[in-house]
Amino acid sequence: MKKIIFKIILLPALFMAGFPAQAALRVFSCEPEWASLAGELGGDKLDIFSATRAQQDVHYIQARPSLIARLRRADLIICTGADLEIGWLPVLLRQSANPKVQPGQPGYFAASEFANLLEVPDSVDRSQGDVHPFGNPHIQLDPRNIAKISAALALRLQSLDPDSADFYRQRYADFDRRWREKIDEWNERAKALAGMGLIVYHRSWVYLIDWLSLREVGALEPKPGIPPSAGHLASILKQIENQDVALIVRSVYQSSRATEWISRRSEVPAVVLPHTVGPTDGTDDLFGLFDTLLDILLDYTQ
Amino acid sequence: MNMDALNISILGPGFLAGLLVLATHVPLGRQVLKRGIIFIDLAVAQMAGLGVVAASVLGWDTHGVAAQLAAVSAALIGSVLLTWTEKRCGDVQEAIIGGLFVLAASGGILLLAYNEHGGEEFKDLLVGQILWADLHTLGPAAIVSVVVLLIWFSIREKLGRGGFYVLFAISVTVSVQLVGIYLVFASLILPALATRKLGRRAGLTQAYALGVLAYFSGLVLSALLDLPSGPVIVWTLAGLAVMLSFLHSKSASD
Repeated sequence: MKKIIFKIILLPALFMAGFPAQAALRVFSCEPEWASLAGELGGDKLDIFSATRAQQDVHYIQARPSLIARLRRADLIICTGADLEIGWLPVLLRQSANPKVQPGQPGYFAASEFANLLEVPDSVDRSQGDVHPFGNPHIQLDPRNIAKISAALALRLQSLDPDSADFYRQRYADFDRRWREKIDEWNERAKALAGMGLIVYHRSWVYLIDWLSLREVGALEPKPGIPPSAGHLASILKQIENQDVALIVRSVYQSSRATEWISRRSEVPAVVLPHTVGPTDGTDDLFGLFDTLLDILLDYTQ
Repeated sequence: MNMDALNISILGPGFLAGLLVLATHVPLGRQVLKRGIIFIDLAVAQMAGLGVVAASVLGWDTHGVAAQLAAVSAALIGSVLLTWTEKRCGDVQEAIIGGLFVLAASGGILLLAYNEHGGEEFKDLLVGQILWADLHTLGPAAIVSVVVLLIWFSIREKLGRGGFYVLFAISVTVSVQLVGIYLVFASLILPALATRKLGRRAGLTQAYALGVLAYFSGLVLSALLDLPSGPVIVWTLAGLAVMLSFLHSKSASD
């Protein structure tokens, strides 16, 4: 009897252990862009789950049981950090009760720790409104940040899964080479864009604007997270009269009503720009994301 | 199908939160239905939210005790107001409740127009998510529920109209933060609706059983189908309530 039990239960287990497991690390990603980056660096060594989809506003999330279950089994969590996920990540980490992925542990990777952050306040003063003490968290729209973050993430993968360190090193070297070539190409194409004026919906494009030397003329949200008021929209219209504005931009999850309202009155075109991997055609990976961003912006330059 | 998430340590705290909400809301709901003041919970929850916003505009700490006191105080002010209006003009009480709801909701937006602190707390207060419940926050809520139930089932008759509104304000303020406004409304109204033709004892028993079964099946379904738990439970509550009403109407016509 014991022998049969041994055969049924233990043998398959030994058998499976003999082969390298298909996925060595289970990765929980807060946003699609980090899931995509992890895929570039880890290939099929990683079992990657993204908590949010490209069509979703990452500031808010609906609690599903599977989110807790996934995080409970994860070896590594990759998030933007800088308070972007403040509304749901702390409570999700607590509910997961997974010691490996708590802040400060090797299994917790906050991408913003490795990026150049913009708009970091000199002093946090509550009278200034909703100040992000860590700076603007929408870091993924500058490919130079992606380069820095990928280097740090590659090191993290090597230390969490040392048996495959060579594999991760190779994949990173390959990714980094292709990425830097692409940055040169994008910089070349983007020369025509310098100085282009944008009206944005939410102030989530500052990294793109900084990288490409665009101009942010105004934001439809008077303050982050506050919907546009009539008075504020009127002052935006005034700004458009006085300054050269080429485009009004929003993300897929933001309402088109305010951007269309401004567009109808000012005759400045309003478009959706992809803000991560996956929201629109052609943005299946990080390369495609920046290709598409430049394609759209170049379409609207005179 | 997603069997991973079918785990007592993931779904358990949410289920306990549901039981706490049901404990007070099932008896309160029968009363609300009898008086025909269905939307009172929306108005009271909205007043609680307004309290938190007001606290933040005054520069108080919007987390912890101060916010809770502000929320309960605002909800109590709302309920005192409603007690008074019911006495003065009871025939239009439901319309006044509706008016209070939109005033509190748009009052919150006005206060936030130049001060967005508290915006998130305002939202949190109304869209509490059942899966985020943990034993740490359930403790105080359990104490409040027990006190409310003790008063309800012992000396409610002596408290009169005002007592009802006060107990109601406290219960809703607590439960809305645990499970959100949709689940509070559904837990209050749907079990009471399905058992409205039954006597007190049978009505309460069946309403409790319906609520417990709906929270249980809703949580399990949301785990299996990988859907947000709160909205799924609203639907299981409604589905079971329809089934129970159908059974009762059938047995009545036999």
